[in-house]
Amino acid sequence: MKIVTKIFLFFVIAALGFFAIACGSKKVNNGEVNVFIWTEYIPESVIEAFQDETGIKVNLATYSSNEDMLSKVKASQTSVYDIAVPSDYMVKRMIAEGLLSELDGASLQNFSNLDASYLNRDFDPKNLYSVPFMAGVAAVVVNKTMVSEEITTFFQLLEPKYKNSIVVLDDYRAVIGAVAKSLGYSFNTTSPADLKRVDSAMALLKPNVKLRDSDSPKTAMLNGETSIGYMWAAEIAIAMQEKPDTFEVVFPKEGAYLFIDNFVILKNAKNFENAKRFIEFILRPEISAQISEQYPYVNPNKEALKLLPASYLDNPASNVPPEVFKNGEFIKDVGQSIEIYDDIWTKFTR
Amino acid sequence: MGGAVFKKKNIPLFAMISPVTAWLIVLIAIPLVYILAISFCSTNADHNIAFHFTLKNYIRLFDPTILGIYSNSLIVSILSTAFCILLAYPFAYVLAKTTPFKKTLMMIFLMLPFWTNSLIRLYSWRTLLGKNGYINEFLVYIGLIDAPLEMMFTRGAVILGMVYTLLPFMVLPIHTAIDKLDTSLIEASKDLGANFWQTFKNVILPLTAPGIFAGSIMVFIPSLGFFFVSDLMGGGNNQIIGNLISRQFKESYNWPFGATLSIMLIVLTIVCVRLYTKSGGKLDELGNI
Repeated sequence: MKIVTKIFLFFVIAALGFFAIACGSKKVNNGEVNVFIWTEYIPESVIEAFQDETGIKVNLATYSSNEDMLSKVKASQTSVYDIAVPSDYMVKRMIAEGLLSELDGASLQNFSNLDASYLNRDFDPKNLYSVPFMAGVAAVVVNKTMVSEEITTFFQLLEPKYKNSIVVLDDYRAVIGAVAKSLGYSFNTTSPADLKRVDSAMALLKPNVKLRDSDSPKTAMLNGETSIGYMWAAEIAIAMQEKPDTFEVVFPKEGAYLFIDNFVILKNAKNFENAKRFIEFILRPEISAQISEQYPYVNPNKEALKLLPASYLDNPASNVPPEVFKNGEFIKDVGQSIEIYDDIWTKFTR
Repeated sequence: MGGAVFKKKNIPLFAMISPVTAWLIVLIAIPLVYILAISFCSTNADHNIAFHFTLKNYIRLFDPTILGIYSNSLIVSILSTAFCILLAYPFAYVLAKTTPFKKTLMMIFLMLPFWTNSLIRLYSWRTLLGKNGYINEFLVYIGLIDAPLEMMFTRGAVILGMVYTLLPFMVLPIHTAIDKLDTSLIEASKDLGANFWQTFKNVILPLTAPGIFAGSIMVFIPSLGFFFVSDLMGGGNNQIIGNLISRQFKESYNWPFGATLSIMLIVLTIVCVRLYTKSGGKLDELGNI
């Protein structure tokens, strides 16, 4: 019996210890907010400024695709993450799946700083669940010293003379969508006949693509690995800042891929109030401007735009012209057609 | 009375074993059964798993594109394993025969790079092998080539990445095998008039073959699944089985097909391990490095 008692005692003590740790960490939790955000999207200095001002500790975790974020949010318990930053179509899906808390965007401080054209979009018609953070487009960047021809359309990238010289985003909706658009279809086409033609066009693009990279596609352009790139305009803006005379940004005539990334608070978030304070903090003009200076995405905060330097405002890659937004298209869920998209992409990447 | 003795003997045993058993059941057995179950399911319009029986996913395995990726993956794995053997064997041999001081030194040099994250180490290959990387610059500078070579983002680069990441898993089992080698057998072979190559072919190689087998298993199987190596070194244009699986679970929202591909990978692994045990390998030696 002695051994059994000892083992029993061991488990009791272990369990008590576990509870002590669990309770201990709960106490710290009161002054926390868990932010789940894209890589290279928020400067360390902004996080520190928030922590210094409010005393709320920010735990940052990052992801590099909406789908990645969704599967992690679904797989983790409540309040592992309080805030996430999904794109437009993903906000819609998360609302439909009941993953978000109502935060009533309009009731937040500083909400009025936002440009109305980014608000009340169809993915969240009253901004009940989401607050715009940054927006952007996917565009083409050309190394002028390596490419003599003028590029104006995405269709030109299918020409055989650009063999093995293009870097594209590792994002199947962005690439397949751009090819569909260059053939005159929608980014969200579900017609099997259209997609069949898209598939053939992708076979022309395939030999031209040297690599696919979503994390830092500008690197391949900066070190001369590729002469043409298809990536987020903000990445292009950073590349242009580093080598202003080499790179040129092209918004394909056919129309560009648009996105709006939004703050959301997840269902049953323990740190709901802290999360709200964090979003309000980011909506301040000077903070928002500070973020755009480091990561030059399209800033929906109209008060912040007034504070940004000429280097941001005069560069079309960061301060994207309004007509690009007018011609562009947002991604929507394609339902069962996703299997055709997957097939096209598997062929493209094999 | 008998019952009491039984209890006395077995309760501590249960107490000790049950945490591990619970761990194995909850974290390995149940997920595997779940994977097997959903591999026979399909998805509905909301991209969630629809629980009705279908063989669709298994039929899709015979799609030419999927078969193409399987064959590419097998080529990469076979070549990576072969290069690992060629590189690791001489190294392991010297490692086993050298003085203790040099042995420690060589071990440190082998293991030290592995304290750095493998992603960072793979990124550094980009700097070396890139179109305007150091190797190309050097070769152009000494006049060996006129235009930079395309070394990065090719199948060769993927194989290089695999060999670089997995080499220690080949060195260690071979080293163990050579270390255990009875030197008197080599001496006997020499006494009987065999030269070095004859001794190597007829004595050393057969006796160390289990180590080579064990190492091959440890290199071949992970190299089928290391999708980040193919992403970073192949630029995503040299897909292996691991890439395919990872994409089904993420971007394509097709967990059932991802599960089917995972089951196939498990089957492939079991086949490899069976071949290994059939040819005289011991399972213990896979873990005994």
